Amino acid sequence: MLFFAVNVSAQQISTADLQVTGLTCSMCSNATQKSLETLGFINSVKPDLNKNIFVLTFKKGADINIDLIRKKVQDAGFSVGGLTADFTFNQVKVDEKGQAIVDGNVYRFVNAKNKTLNGTVKASVVDKNFISGSAFKKQSATVNSDAYANGTAVVNGKKTRVYHLVLS
Amino acid sequence: MFTEPASNMPTKSIGVRLTNEGMFNNPGFVSRTIPEVMFGFNKNLMMHAQGFLSDMDGKYRLEGGSLYAKYRFLSLDEAHSHFRAAAFGRVSTSRRPTFTRDINLEGDNSGAQGGLIFTQLLHKLAISATLGYAHAFNDSDKQITGMPNPNNMFSYSLSSGYLVLPFVYKDYKEPNFNLYFEMLGKTDPSTGESYLDLAPAVQVILNSRTRIDLGYRFQATGNMANRYTKNMYLLRAEFNFFNALK
Repeated sequence: MLFFAVNVSAQQISTADLQVTGLTCSMCSNATQKSLETLGFINSVKPDLNKNIFVLTFKKGADINIDLIRKKVQDAGFSVGGLTADFTFNQVKVDEKGQAIVDGNVYRFVNAKNKTLNGTVKASVVDKNFISGSAFKKQSATVNSDAYANGTAVVNGKKTRVYHLVLS
Repeated sequence: MFTEPASNMPTKSIGVRLTNEGMFNNPGFVSRTIPEVMFGFNKNLMMHAQGFLSDMDGKYRLEGGSLYAKYRFLSLDEAHSHFRAAAFGRVSTSRRPTFTRDINLEGDNSGAQGGLIFTQLLHKLAISATLGYAHAFNDSDKQITGMPNPNNMFSYSLSSGYLVLPFVYKDYKEPNFNLYFEMLGKTDPSTGESYLDLAPAVQVILNSRTRIDLGYRFQATGNMANRYTKNMYLLRAEFNFFNALK
């Protein structure tokens, strides 16, 4: 497996739809937006105050940490109900187990194996705390990954964060 | 509005409140003013610090203060809904002598209280249940002969709030208008004396960060003598500062 150098971003998330749960009112949405806006890699946050969906755009070339997105929502007092992002992949090889390593990020695709991803790809994060508790329980029954329960696996000898994605 | 929900403030935010409570059941009208600062330390823990000033014993003066902490230990979130549970604790001081067995740890009594809060949000309706137990610290220096010596108090309340406007959100600038109806009860475990108050209230949220509350509580039933908070209005302004703490 080839590791790309950090400043050549083979993977970028250009935009993401973030569904937030546990709230109704606009002051709660405001608290969530203000929390997200403290992230250095966020370019803009556009809220749908009725559906509680926040459209995020990211700064070009910035390292995007999707766990920090989740943390900022939880810091505001709420939860992530869904995160669907537009990934830009440059000849990313998904192996026979559904795993791809891009820029040091380990992804396991629930619904893709043995393919090459190129161009803009829409995918949803289905890890714990990125979907509801009940959805995670249901997904646990079908996802074939030893990393799904706690979000980490030993990859190339190191304990590494693994994100589980479902291609749209 | 007379009670707290199980939800917490955003992490690292600061809230400032100024509350005025006016009581009509004393001979003559008396009022209490409560400045309050609130801190959100992390997503589960928040603390409030209050000062109490009133003219209940003569001229307006500083009566005491209180520290309140709330720890949210359960949060189950779904789209437009949640179930939350929190534990709270309070410790208060007051220089007021006691004239009733009722315990009010926000100005009238020194003491400590602990309890639980459960909140269910269902789209635009939020319902909270609070259970608490308070113990009054007795200072014999302040005790007026013949006056009651409060000891313990069991409190229970059910609060409901409804988001009336806007019906559909356009942006953060739209004022939110909420209606509340609360039932606030107390029982003295030693004497069995109780009361149950009803408290309707209105709330406006401005710019999705400033909150104005106006409520009125009145006794629906009860036999606890000389309690203060019967027939009382509450007027409060709350200002929230997000990401204010480092």
